[in-house]
Amino acid sequence: MTENPEVRGCVLPLSLHYSVQDHTWVSLDDDGTVRIGMTDIAQNLAGPLLHAKPKKVGAARKRGKPVATVESSKWVGPVKSPLTGEIVEINEDLATDAQLINRSPYKAGWIVRMKPTDLDAELAELATGEAAVEMYRKRIEDEDLKACEHVEGFEA
Amino acid sequence: MSDDDHEEKKILVIQTHGVETPNRTYSPLFYAMASAAMEIETLVWFTMDGTNQLKKGVAETVKLDPTSDVTLKTMIEQAIESEVKLAVCHQSMALFDMEEEDLIDGVEIMGATSIIDLSLNADHVMYF
Repeated sequence: MTENPEVRGCVLPLSLHYSVQDHTWVSLDDDGTVRIGMTDIAQNLAGPLLHAKPKKVGAARKRGKPVATVESSKWVGPVKSPLTGEIVEINEDLATDAQLINRSPYKAGWIVRMKPTDLDAELAELATGEAAVEMYRKRIEDEDLKACEHVEGFEA
Repeated sequence: MSDDDHEEKKILVIQTHGVETPNRTYSPLFYAMASAAMEIETLVWFTMDGTNQLKKGVAETVKLDPTSDVTLKTMIEQAIESEVKLAVCHQSMALFDMEEEDLIDGVEIMGATSIIDLSLNADHVMYF
């Protein structure tokens, strides 16, 4: 299987850990911190983003609490943290280019970097690899979510 | 407290416009959703002409952009999903011959004393 399988055109890299419910992903950095962002499905549902506002560095977030708010012309909502921890860095580039999330949801469009406080236990509740792809496939089909559309310059 | 830490704040949105002025129906709900996304306890209070959009079968007929599949009903449903609370003025329902069974799901009926309580207890009131 490719490293970046697709479901209805929506890319789901196998290396990431997903909260399928909240459309977010987590990647593990070598220094014990994690990066958090929105999935391809999330950016597709929201549409071209106008603004993305991460919470501030130093903010303590419980799992399920917002690490950011994002808004498009047709939707506004939270990006819910898949983990508990402290925000140690935010993606400053989003302040001037929220559509980085649309163009590169898993790379340049990351939203916050967090120092997690209960990583092992909470990571075990996220989905990863082919299991995550299958969970997403079921959700996309059950809810008949629209196929992902990618803007010019999209990178997985 | 940092200036973007709004937990435990409350915003009350009062909507007095309804289906006869579609251009005035979407934004209060959108702002309410933004408020909820920022972890602010948010309630939209529908009164006067704002009441009629809560009648079953009505909001799905109101559309701002004819090319979009988003209707006022979509906005109301998204607001509820965003944990925005919706309430309707009991006295205003009579203006449109509305009974409790005429209301869409997810709307609480409240009286005039409630809006006074809500106003005094809110950190900010947005009036439309």
